[in-house]
Amino acid sequence: MSADLGAPAHTAGAPEAPHTTSVPVPREPVSAEGLAAPAAVAQASDRGARIAAVAIALAWHVAIGLPAVWAARTEFAAPAVVLGAWALVAVAGAVAGVRLLRHSPLPPWPLAGLLLAVDAAVFAAVGERQLFTAANWVWGTLGWFFVLALWGRRVAGLIALLATHACIALVAVLWHGPDPVDVARYVMYVYGTFSLPVAVFVGSTVIVSLARERAAVSAAGHTMAAERDAAERGLRDRRDRLALVSSAAGRVLGELAAGHADPDDPEVQRRSVLAAARLRRLIAESDDVPDPLLHELRAAADLAERNGLPIDLVTIGAPPPLPVEIRRRLADPLTGTLADAEGWARLTVVSGPNEVVVSLVTPDREGPEATGPPPGEYDDGQVQHLYERDGNIRWAQTRWQR
Amino acid sequence: MGADPVAAMTGERPIGVAIVDDHPVVVEGVRAWLATEPRLTVLATGDDPDEVLRAAPDADVVLLDLRLHGRMALDKLAELSTAGRRVVVYSEHTDPQTMLAALDAGAVAFLAKHEGREHCVATVLAAASDRPYVPPALAGAMVGDPRPDRPMLSDKEREALLLWFQSMSKASVARRMQISEHTVKQYVDRARIKYTRAGRPAATKAALLARAIEDGLVRPEEIGIYRSQAAHDRPTP
Repeated sequence: MSADLGAPAHTAGAPEAPHTTSVPVPREPVSAEGLAAPAAVAQASDRGARIAAVAIALAWHVAIGLPAVWAARTEFAAPAVVLGAWALVAVAGAVAGVRLLRHSPLPPWPLAGLLLAVDAAVFAAVGERQLFTAANWVWGTLGWFFVLALWGRRVAGLIALLATHACIALVAVLWHGPDPVDVARYVMYVYGTFSLPVAVFVGSTVIVSLARERAAVSAAGHTMAAERDAAERGLRDRRDRLALVSSAAGRVLGELAAGHADPDDPEVQRRSVLAAARLRRLIAESDDVPDPLLHELRAAADLAERNGLPIDLVTIGAPPPLPVEIRRRLADPLTGTLADAEGWARLTVVSGPNEVVVSLVTPDREGPEATGPPPGEYDDGQVQHLYERDGNIRWAQTRWQR
Repeated sequence: MGADPVAAMTGERPIGVAIVDDHPVVVEGVRAWLATEPRLTVLATGDDPDEVLRAAPDADVVLLDLRLHGRMALDKLAELSTAGRRVVVYSEHTDPQTMLAALDAGAVAFLAKHEGREHCVATVLAAASDRPYVPPALAGAMVGDPRPDRPMLSDKEREALLLWFQSMSKASVARRMQISEHTVKQYVDRARIKYTRAGRPAATKAALLARAIEDGLVRPEEIGIYRSQAAHDRPTP
């Protein structure tokens, strides 16, 4: 336990931090969940789109590009360049695909530069006869690798790459002689190579953002429901406490107001002190503090000390989290004895993970019990209460065992 | 040490006490407490343990304020205990960790400054004869000891410590436990003796243990159980 609690005398008199009474509202867990859910949903949707894009690019490259390149290998102007470029893109594409699926994509612009260089080399090496055949694999395939290279970025980058690709192709077409038929084919090819990759790229982005939105809406709904539940619980708790407060102070206040009770009567004074102690503890009960039991006991000790009773509060160990019902049964019997105490009081709390023992010792004095709890002992299975007077001390002890 | 505490207890010579504290007003207060007991005499006081013990080499008991000039004197405590000095630590720092650390370092007793004259005199008298004395604050620290390697206390020992810590009255504990006051004291002292195994070895701990056996507080075979951990290291014949 902290040293200040173990400090010897009159600890309870030390100024306490201002009490903040608050309704228990769910905080971190709900909001964290609310933030995490859309991201998780978006990530799951995005993963499916990534797998599709990588599969399309590699399958196209291998299943459509390779047979055509291999069949026409002797007819290229520079076969080694075309074949080598195919192999280079196959390797680079495979690496880029794997890295994309592992969420650590290759740097986009160097990869795009490599692809454009390959593009230019193949157009230069393929020769006039193979310019518009399937053997000129860069026409159809390269667009898909652009998609992989720029995944998750804005579509403008992809369009710029495809436009560069179209320019390179145009230079090649014009280089071999500006035949109107070739230009018409060229336009058709460019349209074909633009449309599909752009459609897939834009489609995946839209799907991911829609999924994210839907998840965010659903999480917001959950948060609202949780907040409403917490508010209802807070209201219920407040009503319960109000009922307890009424039973604690209502009767004595009522009698005083009606003139049936005499404020000079020591008995009435003791009942008032007890009611005040109970009120103080009930107020402390709803405070949001790390050690609620100690906080409630300190509140009671604080009040007793303000009424002129020197009190030692010594704590050993930190109490485990206890439900409010158990805390009440641990603290309430002692509150009564404390209200009755004269001279001095020693309040001790010894806590372990499976046991909390609270004890109050005050000097015994002549006279009957005032308004404290009945001087009996009970054991309701969870909390045991012992009380005794031996002419020397009055000793109340409550003990909770797991 | 040099002095025979048993002889001192029989009245041949008063028990010499050295007080080490850096607050003169506390020194004077403690001196006044001890002056109420004719068997005790204060031989030297000061704020430096070495100087005080040079002035009173025959002191039977050293009352040491754990916090000297702003720092915890645990190392000095260990040094004195290892050298066989019976050191009673008294401090306003009564958090359980500090108290248990002082016992581990070889202090024969730990006294909270607020525990007053009665406990102070009783503690010094017990320390001079190598007998345990557990003031209530120390009982609280022992009963709430959360360390995994803490000594195993019996249910009765634990209960006696707890009730003694709560009530500060052995008569009330005896009534609550329906045993004699003498038995309450035995339970509490036995718990304290079990703590002599913890921490670093010190001559004072051995003396405490030897006296406990002599007084019948623990039986030698129980000490054997204490040492079973060490026994595992020995080759079996």
